[in-house]
Amino acid sequence: MSTVARPLAPGADVPLLAVDGISLSFGGVKAVTDISFAVRSGEICSLIGPNGAGKSSLLNVINGVYRPQRGRVVYDGVAAARITPRRAARSGIARTFQNVALFKGMSVLDNVLTGRNLQVRAGWFRQVLGLRAAREEADGHRRKAEEILAFLHIQAYRDTPVGKLPYGLQKRVELARALAAEPRLLLLDEPMAGMNLEEKMDMSCFILDINRDFGTTVVLIEHDLGVVMDISDHVVVLDYGRKIADGAPAEVRDNPDVIAAYIGSAH
Amino acid sequence: MFLSETGQFSTRYADDRRVFRLRQARLGIVALLAFAYLAVPLWASDYWLSAILIPFLVLSLAGLGLNLLTGYAGQLSLGTAAFMAVGAFAAYNFQLRVEGLPFLASFLLGGLVAAAAGVVFGLPSLRIKGFYLIVSTLAAQFLVEWALTKFGWFSNFNPSGVITAPPLSVLGVDLSSPAGRYLLTLAVVTVLFVVAVRIVRSDLGRSWMAVRDMDTAAAVIGIPVARTKLLAFAIGAFYCGVAGSLWAFAYLGTVEPHGFDLNRSFQVLFIVIIGGLGSILGNFLGAAFIVLLPLLLSNLGGSLLSGVIAPGDTENLQKILFGVLIILFLIREPEGLASLWRGLRARARVWPLRD
Amino acid sequence: MDFFLEVLIGGLLAGVMYSMVAIGFVLIFKASGVFNFAQGSMVLFAALTFVSLLERGFAFWSAFAATLASMLVLAWAIERGVLRHLVNRPPITLFMATLGVSFIIEGLAQLLWGAQVHGLDLGIKDEPLELGGVLLSSFDLFAAGTAAALVLALSLLFSRTRIGLSLRAVADDPLAALAVGVRLQRIWGVVWAVAGFVSLIAGLLWGARLGVQFSLSLVVLKALPVLIIGGFSSIGGAIVGGLIVGASEKLAEVYIGPLIGDGLENWFPYVLALLFLLVRPAGLFGERAIERV
Repeated sequence: MSTVARPLAPGADVPLLAVDGISLSFGGVKAVTDISFAVRSGEICSLIGPNGAGKSSLLNVINGVYRPQRGRVVYDGVAAARITPRRAARSGIARTFQNVALFKGMSVLDNVLTGRNLQVRAGWFRQVLGLRAAREEADGHRRKAEEILAFLHIQAYRDTPVGKLPYGLQKRVELARALAAEPRLLLLDEPMAGMNLEEKMDMSCFILDINRDFGTTVVLIEHDLGVVMDISDHVVVLDYGRKIADGAPAEVRDNPDVIAAYIGSAH
Repeated sequence: MFLSETGQFSTRYADDRRVFRLRQARLGIVALLAFAYLAVPLWASDYWLSAILIPFLVLSLAGLGLNLLTGYAGQLSLGTAAFMAVGAFAAYNFQLRVEGLPFLASFLLGGLVAAAAGVVFGLPSLRIKGFYLIVSTLAAQFLVEWALTKFGWFSNFNPSGVITAPPLSVLGVDLSSPAGRYLLTLAVVTVLFVVAVRIVRSDLGRSWMAVRDMDTAAAVIGIPVARTKLLAFAIGAFYCGVAGSLWAFAYLGTVEPHGFDLNRSFQVLFIVIIGGLGSILGNFLGAAFIVLLPLLLSNLGGSLLSGVIAPGDTENLQKILFGVLIILFLIREPEGLASLWRGLRARARVWPLRD
Repeated sequence: MDFFLEVLIGGLLAGVMYSMVAIGFVLIFKASGVFNFAQGSMVLFAALTFVSLLERGFAFWSAFAATLASMLVLAWAIERGVLRHLVNRPPITLFMATLGVSFIIEGLAQLLWGAQVHGLDLGIKDEPLELGGVLLSSFDLFAAGTAAALVLALSLLFSRTRIGLSLRAVADDPLAALAVGVRLQRIWGVVWAVAGFVSLIAGLLWGARLGVQFSLSLVVLKALPVLIIGGFSSIGGAIVGGLIVGASEKLAEVYIGPLIGDGLENWFPYVLALLFLLVRPAGLFGERAIERV
């Protein structure tokens, strides 16, 4: 897409993710209409727009929770005929949810370990037998999980059932679970919703660190425009299921359609 | 104080994975096993062995099977007794039709046939959720009972569908005495409990709980939800099937299909609720409760309240009491007796201080 | 052909009975999301109480009134003693609680009134009627008429009264209903009372047909597949589901039974319900929810 103003990183000519003409409706109610945009490898892309603009629906299409009526998703140069959540996960897409979707009955550590399920090689029977290879593999997954807990500063809650953690920490655990899969593309659905300023700053730093240290491409939905403008390389604006702007933060901020959608049109 | 962790550090991840992380707990379990394997067969009366301890162990095992399926994987089942029946009748037929097959092998095969039945009746779980699923397991319950009564082949053409187990022996050792049957049951139950603990702590166990807690999220992080559910049905039914074989071979000796009716399924469900959903230990606690409570009641009814309650009424009173207890547990202690035990442990850890 | 028609109509009329039990289920499920396994034991309790009062010399209407009163007390006790303490728990917990309730009711009914079988004569003659060359049971027709009247009364209650309006509001969204001032607990009380009344009627009809005995409480096991087929939240669905189950199980017994063995009416409705579920996971009349994440 030519609207992206920043200089291209080397080797990033092909977008990691391209959404192409997606339309999605629920029994006559249109959630998303003919949306196309591209996310380059290594960038942080924000989806913004008023409530009900279809942002979450779009994320759900990208990782196969919803099937669109029209259009296709091209990921890593391949347009899959049918995306299922599991297939998306296997191809390196991880995500968090708007309403925290953790496994409430399990500890923080166990939640993060479930995030590694696609990396597990030893079958359950070999694990039950306690074969040496399976034990060593389990050590490896544990080590990785501990690294992520340390990275997000939640080691102290390792054994706490997630249901007992405050909201902000739960959001962090969900991010940890997504990171445990070592994803190439991370979809974050309102990672800072309901947080205070300090928590938002922490979360923003984590997102930037993930992007920089692991090279993970991030697509996030966020309402706080200040945060969005600060951390994004690229912003896509939706309104009533349609795309109204797409470009670098500064461009988008000055776009009259965006201003109209957010503040109401100036008559 | 008794369960003080002072000085006991995990220095490797393997230490952290141990079932009994504390030295005291390990000593305790060794003492308990020694008691169960050595002291009990020596000193317990035949009545205690064959009328209380064996059914207690077998019901714990059936409870474990249901708990893996319902407590860990979140798939509600009212067909436990059907899977027990499949296991019992399959083991009986293997024993009958395969010359010289060791008993333990027929229990294992009985369990495997039950697992296959579990997968068949678990298939609808891929499309339907929550308590809609009880329709599938109830279908199993009624269909199995009907088929075992209707088709004589299953019971070797016994007119009333009754099967009679041959005397038990393992490796040439005669185990048909109460102590022998008790030891065989105990051995099978010990092994299967250890396996279950390892399963729920493996990646499979975590996947079960993930599917139970939120299946959409489980699918999004790449857990194969269908496979995970079907494995829960297979393994849960396997445990029930082995429990059914033990029920027929080690406990009663003769069983008929109606011995595995819906009430048996409810009985096992109550064990799981009272003991604690999603707990391994809870199955023992729940089974002990279910086995001992009627005894206690009939003794009470026989002595204390002899004039007050007619003998036929004890059964109704028992029913009411079970109903009340189920409701009380659901309201007050949804995690069952196992959670009371956890509370006690937490106290013992810091005793004599309070937490 | 006439034989087929007779079997079909006999099955449909039996299905009316299943529908009656299923309606009680639907009422409670709609209002409180509780899957009430105790519905069958409520039917047993009602029939047993009524017949025992008759045998103790009560007149028909005073026995009816006394039984109705006891059903209301029972419903109130269940709501107060059990469900009120389980608000916001997962549906499976609520279901298991009603399992406990059904144990209590069954034990209580038999403790109070004994376990023997009672005959119940409602004074309706059960003589064969010939209608267009097909033999029908006059009792079954009466039962069908009663059920129709009951459904009509219920639909009037829900569409024409204030309490009906509140109930529909609660069924749609309990929180929103609470916010506009609907008193949830009163609605629950009313619904349980109506369900108690429905089980009384069902208990009398069933009891008159089969004798009042413990197996009455097992009709709950018939109502379950009915609900699956019809959907848990639709009274119309409960009726259609009951008719489908009644007719198909009789037809299966007559036409499939000789091939694979008789006595299949215990499991046949379940297999049928499973087939329905695979095609329409929310039942014929239920709505399929869109999963939001």
